[in-house]
Amino acid sequence: MSLKIVVCIKQVPVSNNLKIDPITKNLIRSGEQGIMNPYDKNAIEAALRLKDEWGGEIILLSMGPQDFEITLREGLAMGCDGAVLLSSRQFGGADTLATGYVLSQAIKKIGNVDLVLFGRQSVDADTSQVGPIVSEFLNWPQVTFVSELHSHSGKTITATRLLENMQQKIEFQLPAVITVRREMNEPRYPTPRNIQQSYKKDIQVWDENNLSVDPDRIGVKGSPTIVRSVWAPEKEAKSTKYLNGSADEAIRELLIELNANNLL
Amino acid sequence: MTDQEIWIYAEKHVGIIQPVTYQLITKAKEIADDKKVVVILFEATDKNLENNIMEYGPDEIIVVKDDRLKDATDSEIANLMAELTKRRQPNSILFGATVVGRSIAPRLQAKLGTGLTSDCLNLAFDDDFLIQTKPSYGDNIMCEIICPDHRPQMASVRPNTFAAKKISNTTTIVTEVNDLMFKEAERVKIIEETPLLSKSDSIANADRVIALGRGASDDKVISLAEELARKLGAKIGVTRPLTDHSKFSGEDQIGQSGNTVTPKLLINVGIHGAVQYTTGIEKSELIISINKDPKAPIFKYSDFSYVGDSKDFLEGFLKVIQ
Ligand SMILES: Cc1cc2nc3c(=O)[nH]c(=O)nc-3n(C[C@H](O)[C@H](O)C(O)COP(=O)(O)OP(=O)(O)OC[C@H]3O[C@@H](n4cnc5c(N)ncnc54)[C@H](O)[C@@H]3O)c2cc1C
Ligand SMILES: Cc1cc2nc3c(=O)[nH]c(=O)nc-3n(C[C@H](O)[C@H](O)[C@H](O)COP(=O)(O)OP(=O)(O)OC[C@H]3O[C@@H](n4cnc5c(N)ncnc54)[C@H](O)[C@@H]3O)c2cc1C
Repeated sequence: MSLKIVVCIKQVPVSNNLKIDPITKNLIRSGEQGIMNPYDKNAIEAALRLKDEWGGEIILLSMGPQDFEITLREGLAMGCDGAVLLSSRQFGGADTLATGYVLSQAIKKIGNVDLVLFGRQSVDADTSQVGPIVSEFLNWPQVTFVSELHSHSGKTITATRLLENMQQKIEFQLPAVITVRREMNEPRYPTPRNIQQSYKKDIQVWDENNLSVDPDRIGVKGSPTIVRSVWAPEKEAKSTKYLNGSADEAIRELLIELNANNLL
Repeated sequence: MTDQEIWIYAEKHVGIIQPVTYQLITKAKEIADDKKVVVILFEATDKNLENNIMEYGPDEIIVVKDDRLKDATDSEIANLMAELTKRRQPNSILFGATVVGRSIAPRLQAKLGTGLTSDCLNLAFDDDFLIQTKPSYGDNIMCEIICPDHRPQMASVRPNTFAAKKISNTTTIVTEVNDLMFKEAERVKIIEETPLLSKSDSIANADRVIALGRGASDDKVISLAEELARKLGAKIGVTRPLTDHSKFSGEDQIGQSGNTVTPKLLINVGIHGAVQYTTGIEKSELIISINKDPKAPIFKYSDFSYVGDSKDFLEGFLKVIQ
């Protein structure tokens, strides 16, 4: 029994300076380069653990410009076996529907895939829609927002799915699609050996001619949604009142205000 | 066109309609103009949740009753929704941007080949277009999204963004639909559902919250905060770094990737005020913050600010209210 796993990953900009220092868990500001969507590392880690248990092969899949190779290399350095980059002008401007369509066609082309893993959402557009869309196009079961996985036979898996105020245990058979929460695991760091090996691994680049895709369903043409405008909301600072003096004095003053507002 | 419909997917967990459903009904009624507000409810035969929904005054509730709906999976619900959609051609469909909404809606979107905007913070109609305002890049930017050429227009909406209002005299029509094809999902089943004695549920709904950050992560400070919380009847929430502390978990986290809180009173102790955190507190009525750094951004979000030490502040508070 061995598994063929595809992990879909995406590179996100750091323009919002969203990067977490893995040690201090602080936000750090970094250069201009894109980074791997943080939740996708949890998806890769989940794949690596399934592979450790059942054997098999992990293929990374990403749709985006050439420089997404940086992120694919990083995934390879974590221990994945191969990578496919879907890159073409025709794919550009895709919304979630067109993205999900192209990814699902690529998964069909890869063939004999048992499991497709996603991060729970991206940290830029933040939709969490691509996993379920791919699942629908493949007509496979989906289990989203998963925090735990237990595989019994390789082909039957039990997952814990966390909702806002309840938890579900879901049993499913492969092939299937899973989206992974951060709570699921702690992603491993690339070992020097894996980093070195990752440079020997080949990243295949496919465009629309390598896939069987309907030209009306890809890129801008295949995207029903349009971003009409984008702006940075001006947050008006509240007019804050500073409490002065020792803690005791400040609290007495505060309590007067709280009482006046019927808050105590 | 006057008989256009705005649909709302009624989300329920362990037999209770989720508040976001009611919030969406109120909002939809507000923006509907001449469109009808229709709630879609799937429930087991022994349930009558339509009675609860009616209190919020939608024009119509479409109820599908079937015992298999007790633990239906995402794809089963998406199939039923797709069938209904094909029959009645709604103008728009709204979901809560909850785990369930974010799982069913895109599956339905793919079936219908239409657009879906996630996690909206505002909705409005401009003629026939649903203008969907959503945040991106960790709530640092906002964008307006439309879906001009495809129907239905679909959106998921962040819980607690709109207030729900009950209506006294409602004229809601209840329509039972019982001739849908229930296509049972293969290879996946829900084998157990357990309500989480949800701490997250309680901070999300709490009237008073004491939030602790890395500047309040000492065990001594945490126990002072717990004592103050007991005295004030407050719940404790935390920033992300504190979810690593053995006392707390992701459930207790406030912010973009945690809970949105809406208390009357929020006390931030030792919290810096990163945008990923403040996103989750903007709907609080009165905000008090304590930080030793006079330049901490959290003060910009606060009604009252105290520059000082977490421990001193909590000790002082407990002493004064003895
Ligand atoms: C500001 C902004 C707002 C947007 N809002 C919407 C919207 O509301 N609705 C809409 O349909 N589109 C929207 N888009 C377009 C959308 O971002 C893209 O289609 C897209 O990159 C996929 O969506 P996501 O990033 O939200 O992924 P998510 O669905 O949040 O990501 C889930 C998983 O899918 C993986 N994944 C996502 N994209 C790819 C990819 N290209 N290759 C491989 N894996 C991938 C992620 O890595 C992650 O593991 C928006 C774009 C921008 C810039
Ligand atoms: C994609 C993404 C999602 C995120 N989602 C969330 C989220 O949902 N929620 C969240 O909280 N964070 C989230 N974060 C992390 C966020 O960016 C911040 O790192 C986090 O909120 C910081 O927590 P903090 O304020 O407790 O810690 P710090 O930034 O370390 O701040 C501690 C503060 O305490 C003060 N202080 C220290 N000692 C004392 C003392 N003795 N007395 C008084 N004050 C003191 C300091 O002056 C400082 O301001 C997310 C990050 C990313 C990248």
